Amino acid sequence: MALPLEIPPRARSAMSTSKASPMYNLRSSIASTGSTTSLTSLFAGTGASLPRDIVDDIKSVIHHAFVPHIAVHVSDDVDEVVREKGLPDFYQLIRPYGEKVQGRITARDSQGSSVPFEDFAVRFVRLSDVAQKPEQKGNTGGTTFRNGEYGGTNAGIPEAINSEELPLADELLDLHLSHAEELIDTNLATETESHTGQAYYLLYLRKILSGFPVTPHETWAHPVACLIAISSRNTTPIDTLRQLYKSGSEVNIPGYVNKDYLRYYVLVHDEDKDDIVKSAALFEQMKRHFGLHCHLIRLRSVMCIVSDEDSVPVAKSQWLPASEELAELHAHQEEDIESDTSSRFIHGSDEAAIKTMVREMVAQSVIPFMERNIASWNDQILSRRKGIGGRVLSFSRRFLGSTGTRSASNSATASNFDSATNSYDPITPEAQMRKLADWSFMLRDWKLAYDVYNTIRTDFNNDKAWLHVAGAQEMTLISLLLTGQPITPKIRADTIDVYLDAACYSYVTRFRAIYAALRCLLVTVELLRLAGGSSAELAAKWAIKALDLNIRPTVSRALISQRVGDCYAVRQGAGSGGWGGRRRKAAMWHALAAETWIRLGKFAQARHCIDVAMPKYANTEFVLIRRFLDQMKLDSGHVNLLDLKIDTAVGETGGEVVEVEDANGEESQEEDDDEVEKPKFDGKRRSILIPQTPNGDAPGVMTVHESPGADGPL
Amino acid sequence: MAGSSTSYYFVIIGTKDNPLYEAEFGSFKQGGDGIPKFREEQRHMNQFIAHSSLDCIEDQQWASKEMYLKTVDKFNNTWVSCFLTGGNIKFLLVHDTRSDEPIRQFFADVYDLYCKTLMNPFYEVNMAIRSQTFDQKIKAAAKKYL
Repeated sequence: MALPLEIPPRARSAMSTSKASPMYNLRSSIASTGSTTSLTSLFAGTGASLPRDIVDDIKSVIHHAFVPHIAVHVSDDVDEVVREKGLPDFYQLIRPYGEKVQGRITARDSQGSSVPFEDFAVRFVRLSDVAQKPEQKGNTGGTTFRNGEYGGTNAGIPEAINSEELPLADELLDLHLSHAEELIDTNLATETESHTGQAYYLLYLRKILSGFPVTPHETWAHPVACLIAISSRNTTPIDTLRQLYKSGSEVNIPGYVNKDYLRYYVLVHDEDKDDIVKSAALFEQMKRHFGLHCHLIRLRSVMCIVSDEDSVPVAKSQWLPASEELAELHAHQEEDIESDTSSRFIHGSDEAAIKTMVREMVAQSVIPFMERNIASWNDQILSRRKGIGGRVLSFSRRFLGSTGTRSASNSATASNFDSATNSYDPITPEAQMRKLADWSFMLRDWKLAYDVYNTIRTDFNNDKAWLHVAGAQEMTLISLLLTGQPITPKIRADTIDVYLDAACYSYVTRFRAIYAALRCLLVTVELLRLAGGSSAELAAKWAIKALDLNIRPTVSRALISQRVGDCYAVRQGAGSGGWGGRRRKAAMWHALAAETWIRLGKFAQARHCIDVAMPKYANTEFVLIRRFLDQMKLDSGHVNLLDLKIDTAVGETGGEVVEVEDANGEESQEEDDDEVEKPKFDGKRRSILIPQTPNGDAPGVMTVHESPGADGPL
Repeated sequence: MAGSSTSYYFVIIGTKDNPLYEAEFGSFKQGGDGIPKFREEQRHMNQFIAHSSLDCIEDQQWASKEMYLKTVDKFNNTWVSCFLTGGNIKFLLVHDTRSDEPIRQFFADVYDLYCKTLMNPFYEVNMAIRSQTFDQKIKAAAKKYL
C-alpha cells in the first residue's frame, strides 16, 4: 500500500505525464461513499453541476447556448446598493437568474401558434463588454490585415473569434479533471459515470458555447435589449435615466451592431433605507416618461448571512465563460475557505424579486419585442425578397453591379457589403435578415430560421462575404437538424457534408477562426449524434475533423476522441450479429482516447475509456492490440492484473509473472510491494513486461497464437 | 508516416475477427528496399485500423458484386483495401498511398495462395497460417506488385 500513496495527490495531479503513479486496486477497494452532491459541494464555485439525463441535456445545452443577450447598463448608485449586500455589482447579482427564467414562457412562431417553453433563458452581459473588444480591434484590424491576399477580409473581426478562449477552456477542464482525479484517488468519490463519462464533455461543450464573441457575421452576442437601472437613492432619477440612455447609445458599439434594441428601465428600491411610497411615485413618473417597459424591484441593502432566516445562497452561473471561471477558481485557491466567495447569501425575498423581474422583462417586453420585429422583418424583407419582384430586383442589381462597376476598383460597391469592415450595416436587408433568422432561432422557430438562413446564404455568397456565408451555412445545418426532419442520405451528402466542409474551410483557412470552426463542428456533431443511425457515423467523421483543428494533446483532444467513440457507439447494428454497427470503431476510438488521457495523467478517465473499449478486445488475437491495451491498463492503474498474468505467463522471457491470488486485488497489493520496480512507472518497464513471442520473431512478422483454441470456437 | 517510401501492413482475418496471418513489408517501387518503416507506435495502430475497418467491410460487402472491395476505410492518412473470399475471409491491406490496380493483382495472387492452403487436408478454416512457404510466397507477391 505504501508505494503509490506516497506521492501526495496534489503533486500527482500536477504532473502531466503518465509518470504519476496510479492506484492499484482502486475499483475494488473503494467503498461507494461519495455522492454527487457531496462532490459538487466540495467543488463549489465551479458551476459544474454534473447533469443527469444526457440526451435531454445535449439539446438543452444547445438551446441555452443560442439565447437572447441582454445588456446591463446601470447607474453607480445601483451598484452601490448591491455592494452593500456583499456582491460585486448588479450585473453579477442578476446574471445567474437569466439562465433559467421562472415558469413557462410562451412565444408565437411564424405561423401564429404559440409555443410554450419551460426552460427559456436569456444571457445578461455588460454593455461595456459588447463595446470594448471590437474597439481595440478596430485600431489594429483595419490596417494590419489589408496587405494580404485576402485584402481586408480580416478587418473588423474581433480577436475573440480566433480561438483565444480555447486554451482557456482546455485549462479549465484540466483543472476540473485533476480535481475529480484527486477526489477519486482519495476515495472521496467513486468512479461513476458522472465523473468519467460524458459529463465532462458536456461541460467542455458548454464552455465552448458560453461567451460568444461579438462579431459582424452573426448576431447572437448583439444585445436584444438593454436593461437600464437606477436606484431609489438617486436624487435626479429621470435625468439619470436619460443620461444612461444617452451614454448607452454613445458607448463605442461596433457599427454592425444594431442600436435599435429594446430599452428596459428598472428602478431598484432599497427596502431597508428608502420609503416605498416615494419609490412608487417615482415609478409612476418613470412609466409616464418611458412607457411600459419599466419595472420596480425591491431589494434589501443589508448584507445577508447564513444564519438569517430566509437566506439563500447566491445562484451560480452555469454559463460562465472559461476565462471568468478560471479567474474565479484561481481567486479561490488563494483565498481561505472561510472567506469563500462561493458561500455568499442573499435574502430569499431578493431572489424572488429578481426572478420576478427577469420573468416579467422576458415575458412581457423582450419576447413581444422580438416577435414584433420578426413579424415585421418577415413581412417587409423576406417576403419581398422571396417574391418575384425581389428576385428581379436582386438579379438586376447583380447584373448592373457586375457590369457597371467593372471599372471601379472595388467590385463590391453594388452590394451592401462593406469589405473594409467585413460587415453589413445593420439597416441593410442582409443584416436584418440575418437578425431575423437569429431571433427566430432564439425563439426556437427552427423552420423559419432554416428558411431564412437558406435564403441569405445565397445573398452573402453573391457578395463574397465569406465569413457571413460560413455563419449562414453553419446555422442552416444546425436549424435543419433541430427541425427534427428525417435526415435522408441525400441531405447528408448534399447538404450536411457540403456545408460543413465549406464552413470549416472558410473559418479555418480564410479567417483562422478556429473557435468558430470548432463550435460549428461540435454542435453539428452533437445533433447528428442524437439523430442516430447513419447520421451518427457522419457525426463521428466530423468529430474526427474537429480533432484535426488542434494537434496538441490537450484535454480537448482527449475529450473529442472519446466523443468520436461515443458517436460510433450510437450506431448499433441490426440483428444479433449487429450488422452495420460500428462497435469496433467505437472501441478503437475509446482506446485511443485512453492513450491520450494517460499521456495527460488523467487516469480515471483513461480507466473509464478502457472499460468501454475492453469488451470488444477481450479475446482479440491481435497481439499488438492486446499488448497495447495491457500496457495502458498498467499505466492507468486499471486493476485487472489478472488479465496480465495470462499474457505474460505465455511469453517465456516475460520475466514478471504477476501472480495474483485473489480477484479482489486486496492481496495483490502486497505482491506489488515485492516487485518494487514495477509500480514506479518510470516508463522503462515496457521492455520487461512485453513478452517475446515464442519463436523469437519480431511480433507482426508472423502471428503467434498463444491460445490453442484459435480454431476451436467455430 | 514511413518516411519517403511507403509501407504496407497485410492481414488475413477470419470469420471471428481473428487474424490468420499478418505481415509487414515496404515498397519495392521507387528504389524501396522492401523493409517496413513503421514507427513503433504505428504498428499497433495498424492492427487497430484493420480491425476497426471490419465495421465498414460488413456494410460494403453486400453492396458490391466484386470480391475486391477496393479501399473501404480511411484513418487519417492511411487507407484500408479489402478483398473478400467466398468463405468470408478478409484480406486487408493497410497502406498510405492509393493505388487500386497493383493491390488488386496482389490480392489475386494472395487468393490463389490462400486457396492452395485451404486444400491442405490438415488445414481448417479459421486456423492460423504458419507455413513458412506461404509467408515467402506472400512476400514474393508483395515484391512483385507493391
